[in-house]
Amino acid sequence: MPAPLLQLTGIVKEFPGVRALDGVDLVVRAGEVHCLLGQNGAGKSTLIKVLAGAYQPDEGEIVMDGEHAHFADPQAALAAGIATIYQELDLVDGLSVADNIFLGHERSRFGFSRVSDSNRAARELLVSLGHPEIRPSRETGSLSAAGKQIVSMARALSRQAQVIVMDEPSAVLDPDEVGGLFRVIEDLRASGKAIVYISHRLEEIRRIGDRLTVLKDGRTVAADLPARETPTSELIALMTGREVSAEYPRRTTPLPDAEPLLVVDGLGRTDEFEDVSFSVRPGEIVGLAGLVGAGRSEIVETVYGARRADRGTVTVDGRTLRRGSVDAAVAAGLGLCPEERKSQGLVLDEAVYRNISLASLPRFSRFGATRDSAERSAAHEASRTVDVRPDDPDRVVRTLSGGNQQKVVLARWLLRSCRVLLLDEPTRGVDVGARSEIYTLIRTLADEGLAVVVVSSDIDEVLGLSDRVLVVADGRVVHSGPSAEIDAHNVLDRILASNESSHESEGDAA
Amino acid sequence: MATATAPPDERVATTGPVARLLKRPEIGALIAALVVFLFFALTTETFATPAGASTWLQTSSTIGIMAVAVALLMIGGEFDLSAGVMTGFTGLTVGVLTTHWGLNIWVAIVVALALALAVGALNGFMVMKTGLPSFIVTLGTFFVLQGIDLALVKLIIGQVAIQGMSNVPYYDQPKKLFGSTFEVGGATIHVSVIWWIAVTIIASWILMRTRAGNWIFAVGGAQGASRQVGVPVFRTKIGLFMTTAFAGWIVGMLVLFRTSTVQSNTGIGQEFIYIICAVVGGCLLTGGYGSAVGAALGALIYGMVNQGIPYSGWDSNWLKAVLGVMLLGACLINNWVRKRAENAR
Ligand SMILES: Nc1ncnc2c1ncn2[C@@H]1O[C@H](COP(=O)(O)OP(=O)(O)OP(=O)(O)O)[C@@H](O)[C@H]1O
Ligand SMILES: [Mg+2]
Repeated sequence: MPAPLLQLTGIVKEFPGVRALDGVDLVVRAGEVHCLLGQNGAGKSTLIKVLAGAYQPDEGEIVMDGEHAHFADPQAALAAGIATIYQELDLVDGLSVADNIFLGHERSRFGFSRVSDSNRAARELLVSLGHPEIRPSRETGSLSAAGKQIVSMARALSRQAQVIVMDEPSAVLDPDEVGGLFRVIEDLRASGKAIVYISHRLEEIRRIGDRLTVLKDGRTVAADLPARETPTSELIALMTGREVSAEYPRRTTPLPDAEPLLVVDGLGRTDEFEDVSFSVRPGEIVGLAGLVGAGRSEIVETVYGARRADRGTVTVDGRTLRRGSVDAAVAAGLGLCPEERKSQGLVLDEAVYRNISLASLPRFSRFGATRDSAERSAAHEASRTVDVRPDDPDRVVRTLSGGNQQKVVLARWLLRSCRVLLLDEPTRGVDVGARSEIYTLIRTLADEGLAVVVVSSDIDEVLGLSDRVLVVADGRVVHSGPSAEIDAHNVLDRILASNESSHESEGDAA
Repeated sequence: MATATAPPDERVATTGPVARLLKRPEIGALIAALVVFLFFALTTETFATPAGASTWLQTSSTIGIMAVAVALLMIGGEFDLSAGVMTGFTGLTVGVLTTHWGLNIWVAIVVALALALAVGALNGFMVMKTGLPSFIVTLGTFFVLQGIDLALVKLIIGQVAIQGMSNVPYYDQPKKLFGSTFEVGGATIHVSVIWWIAVTIIASWILMRTRAGNWIFAVGGAQGASRQVGVPVFRTKIGLFMTTAFAGWIVGMLVLFRTSTVQSNTGIGQEFIYIICAVVGGCLLTGGYGSAVGAALGALIYGMVNQGIPYSGWDSNWLKAVLGVMLLGACLINNWVRKRAENAR
């Protein structure tokens, strides 16, 4: 067996009040895809930031290529051949795509940019990632989340690094784009590079991984496991320290025969989606399946009034909502947990409980003054139900791990007493353990009489969770029926069939 | 490009030249400048004459040099409230050193430059090392310099204005560089206009075509991320503060050699005008967005309004009210344009 390319031993990193890493060991070899697994808050992102030179470890040592290494700053790590794709998107919106890719190691002569040079090199990288349509001169801020993720990847590749670290790169990509990403990873592996890959999606790790290391509470609990053969149950047990059911919570009681609570009729927005009609009864969960960019997020945002419908109506409990008015939607009892949580709603420097109770402040105020204790305890309860870790309502949201930040937003919408709940990608970035708890919670809410609409790119998740499913492709509903009567293959077939017939926009979601 | 074969996709949505032009940060300022020009040209006698133009161009030029430097700094995510008083500080330094202590005028000019750059570097250093907002740090330097300009100068020369500047040996040499005029089509143009145009061109060039320009956008738009990819954040920011100080030195010299005097209160109160010009020119207060040409246009608007109001026979005190309205208008328009750009995605 070749000597390891990178070896981390006994890494410790403390933040005020938390020991985020408590003796982590990691061994990465050249020519392998090494997966890092662990629950939200296990310390994965912290570990890779230590590796990237963004954080200094308090203890432990890093050996690279047989030599002791110390990365005083990110530049040192880059120079040593470690390039990182961070979990949070970190591009400069005001710069062009090419400028972002080469930021910090510009192609220049005497300080003057060689624009055509770097545009050409950027285009080559984007083509190799399967995205020739992203223009190098385009302003980065105008790209969608998926587009930005591609640019981040191009940036890491442009460094010609020995080790490429990817922190949940697939979170905002659709299955097609994940396929492209995996082809690139395979090329890198074949050329002898090492890839450290973080994802909460076990099926990805099965497909691309060679070996894996499991972190729990800042410690390595298992290392050198074969990524393909290790049974799922064992992995989950290692990560969570308990048994987690992989089953979706199916309906246990028959659906009450009530009038629909939410009726969407002929809804359309020019160039986005057309003629969308569906209805949801109290207690029912309706899923919207489809690829990223099919228009699902646009549909739920329009139902919620965040986008103004050009055609069609949204009716809640018999009353038609005013178009393009979030206020009207909220007054009628609608709630939307948006897809892009980071930008759409967290006050990063506020405490967890504040963030959770934000949307329901009127509930906690009497004569204009907020009742702090009631607010806190209700928020605390909500954060417990989605399993925000650490379980401390006073913590500043910024110091939570990525997945736990997402849970905070979800908790906020669960705390509001909505009658119709629209959930856009409710489990993105959330670990397996917490995911099944979120499923159970959604089902419980439905059983209590809520009408729920769930959007997810994970087709199994939509099918498993919902009672009825709508398949959306290119902004049109191409199928609608009970979830039990269709499987993931069928869903994909229908999407592909519609793509072939129209061959239109396969773009990403805004 | 491969776009010919790719399926239509919002990421490749072709942007025509018009759409692209409308997205430029300075477009609003350009239109406003045309409107302001036409308004005063049509409603007053003198505004569009060569003599009229040379006055408002001159006012625009000194403000413009500073506004361009301040715009770079704002794109880099910082403010410099000491920029205005710096123009007085450098002029006074040269004045005191030459008239009072008889130093060679060129040496005095270089000393003033060195002092200005040192203050700029100190501003940057304090901002980066303490993590305090630059608004506070430079507010501090602003007051310190203001005190020096008034108290120290008075202590040394016994008065608050430099006199006898034109009697200093070799005064004519730097006067050619900073205080001369020339004729263009019947208009007497002050050399500061050349400086203004040169500074704008160089700043635009740096922003659009050099590595340092990328760094400026990067440190203003996403400081943490820039550090992670190896942008020299510290150096870039220090450089930006030194740039505003440098601009302050240029303007200090231009004022000194045009009027051959300088007063202790020169430049005080101008710092917000520079910021207003930069914002009117499309800079965002949050950093990471803006343009040098826009700031120059903002200064042009300021200069035209500044001179146009008295030409119209109005009380010149209305200027401030107009400025306030312009600032709010510019912010609202910029905001609206950006929202639309985001929705169009
Ligand atoms: N800057 C910080 N200050 C304080 N605590 C922090 C900071 N960054 C991370 N932590 C804490 O360190 C722990 C590990 O966080 P980390 O982001 O590494 O988790 P993760 O494994 O990447 O989780 P996820 O899957 O949710 O992204 C968490 O408890 C988190 O709250
Ligand atoms: Mg993480």
